[in-house]
Amino acid sequence: MLAASSIAAGAHAQSGFDSNGQCVGDADGNGEVTISEIIVAVNNALNGCGFVPITLQFRGTVGADTFTCGTVYHNVGTTKADIVPSDFRFYIYNVRLVTKDGQVVPLKLDQDHAWQLDDLALLDFENKAPPCGNGTTATNTTVHGMAPPGEYTGVRFQLGLPFDRNHGNQAIAPSPLDLTGMFWSWQDGYRFLKIDTAFDNVRVHLGSTGCVLGSNPTVVTSCARLNIAEVDLNGFNPASNTIIADLGALLANSDINTNQPNTPPGCESDPGDQDCDPMFTNLGLHFSDGTPSPATQTFFRVE
Amino acid sequence: MSSLSGRTARALLGVTALLVCAAARGAAAEAYKWNLPVGFPQPSVPDDNPMSIEKVALGRFIFYDTRMSGNQTYSCAACHKQELAFSDGLQQAIGSTGQVHPRSSMSLTNVAYNATFAWANPLLLTLEKQALLPMFGDTPVELGLGGMPQSELLDRFSSNPRYRRLFAEAYPNDADPITLDNLVKALTSFVRTLISGNSPYDRYINGLDDNAISKSAYNGGRLFFTERLECFHCHGGYNFVDSETHDGKLTPEIQFHNNGLYNIDGHGAYPPNNTGIFAFTQVPADMGSFKSPTLRNIELTAPYMHDGSIATLEGALVDHYGRGGRLITDGPYAGDGSTNPFKSGFIRGFTLTDQEKQDLLAFLKSLTDMEFVTNPRFSDPFAGEFCTGDCNFDRSVTVDELITGVNIGLEAAPLGTCVVADADGDGEIAVNELIGAVNAALSGCASPTPTPTPLGQ
Repeated sequence: MLAASSIAAGAHAQSGFDSNGQCVGDADGNGEVTISEIIVAVNNALNGCGFVPITLQFRGTVGADTFTCGTVYHNVGTTKADIVPSDFRFYIYNVRLVTKDGQVVPLKLDQDHAWQLDDLALLDFENKAPPCGNGTTATNTTVHGMAPPGEYTGVRFQLGLPFDRNHGNQAIAPSPLDLTGMFWSWQDGYRFLKIDTAFDNVRVHLGSTGCVLGSNPTVVTSCARLNIAEVDLNGFNPASNTIIADLGALLANSDINTNQPNTPPGCESDPGDQDCDPMFTNLGLHFSDGTPSPATQTFFRVE
Repeated sequence: MSSLSGRTARALLGVTALLVCAAARGAAAEAYKWNLPVGFPQPSVPDDNPMSIEKVALGRFIFYDTRMSGNQTYSCAACHKQELAFSDGLQQAIGSTGQVHPRSSMSLTNVAYNATFAWANPLLLTLEKQALLPMFGDTPVELGLGGMPQSELLDRFSSNPRYRRLFAEAYPNDADPITLDNLVKALTSFVRTLISGNSPYDRYINGLDDNAISKSAYNGGRLFFTERLECFHCHGGYNFVDSETHDGKLTPEIQFHNNGLYNIDGHGAYPPNNTGIFAFTQVPADMGSFKSPTLRNIELTAPYMHDGSIATLEGALVDHYGRGGRLITDGPYAGDGSTNPFKSGFIRGFTLTDQEKQDLLAFLKSLTDMEFVTNPRFSDPFAGEFCTGDCNFDRSVTVDELITGVNIGLEAAPLGTCVVADADGDGEIAVNELIGAVNAALSGCASPTPTPTPLGQ
């Protein structure tokens, strides 16, 4: 039965637009409401939209080994060095699923007031156990939301934060943007990716640089280097596969035993720090200008 | 009661009478009064953080509280000491965990008028944003709060009754006033009050005292404001800066300059961890560009330059500016700063006679504001010798101050209007504290009161 309340809900948008500014009934966004769109809408009114819950599994690793705080990992980088990672967190947003026939649909994230906010999420593999003292005991290895039922064979997301969220007021930001360890206040933003190590022999702090303020002199309006990577993974079935974030792959082309003089250990996204170059490449970024280079991305893979 | 002297007993009767007066007066919120030096404009304040007595009083406690560092060893004052015009005397700052900062702690003199914050950061245009950097930054670690859950930091404050009251009264419309945002806003409200404009130079220039400065300082001032030396281009105006903002100003003036301190490769390079705003912009001409700090209280803020690499004022004047840029003859940073291609055109060099050098130094020292560095309003509330009930720190307790104390006791006035009435720091004014205040009113403030209880003790 077509519920009266559903009709009322449609009619309340007197302007013809929904709260997202989308023309009500115009499912494909082409500015017209076709008969087929009306049929779909009526079906949705009768049967519900039929979105299904989907959970993406993530795992932090160093090479083949699952990351845990305090473990010594061997054979990292070009000099086969040992590292003891002490932080392993990153933000992603704009998560999309790809169907087997190439259709791209957004994963509408559940708003859990913890790890997910709008269309962004924090993945957190550290549990504050030594030497991860700067972290949080809680961890998060999943991203969960709703999507149309379908046969999905790929996943896409951005490593980073949406621009407005990245440059909002940190002092009032909701979770997961309230984590002081992820603040990158000197750049008026956040660290998108935070890798630290015990003994501080290598760090990877990814974030936007070269940002400038606009006419409202307290708000960042653009950044010379966004340093937001576009990740595109194929052969991924959310029901059976896991997205691996592999620190070993990230550092595979770096010499961890040698650091450019007078720069922080590893890379803090400084355009003058050549230690960043191989890491950026493996994150799927051009180090020269911070634009995406998805083809070189090796940090993430599917298992 | 038998141990009370007759005088104290009479005072108690007075307190009872005051209670009646106090109830009549109530506690209307007053607009914040800046009490600015002559010739100073009103500071610019963010719309969402208007000044209030309550926020300033709370911010002063926060500024001096070691709750503000991860390991509870450092407060903001660790690197910003009042007696050094809120700098620290070190070449390079040392953070709460021992990490050495690439740069020297900046004086907080007149920061309310800064157009930008830190030595060279084009993104930090408000103190509210700046405050997050020493708190949470980790390259290097300063206060070392980065990684601490906000709740853990805030619990340090909410577990203390004085802070509970100060926060509640500073943010009366907030159901839960102890938040990071409110903490930062109170802290910055206090820091905005650190205004210095009562040096001998000020007293002379404002016609208050023709003998406030020596003839030598007078001559040095004449030299300072010449095209021969060019000092005043970057160190001009009421605050001796060229980058400033204030209330009603159309737009902040933001400037950064390369002053020829380094020229490592002959192409203008600065040490890699101190490249100025180049670190943000990557524009070659921005290499080595830093903010010109105020020269007020410069005598107290040695060593000099962004990296503290010049020990004395004389060194800055003669070896650096006199030469038109510093020459470093050996070591990793060897180079002739005077030929730095990005150097400001005003750094042209000059030759001073011995007398002229002495005159200039005398002028610069005439900018030292001893009232600023001894003002109890800016001092450490945990360590000072305060007189119970002496709300305005003038070493005497008046009837008005007693009324304020009573009103605070009745919760008819905010604690922030007279924090020293709460001698034991429990957030309440008890009868014995009122007695202390009455005794101070009758006998004067000669003997210091007990030090307010430090954190967690």
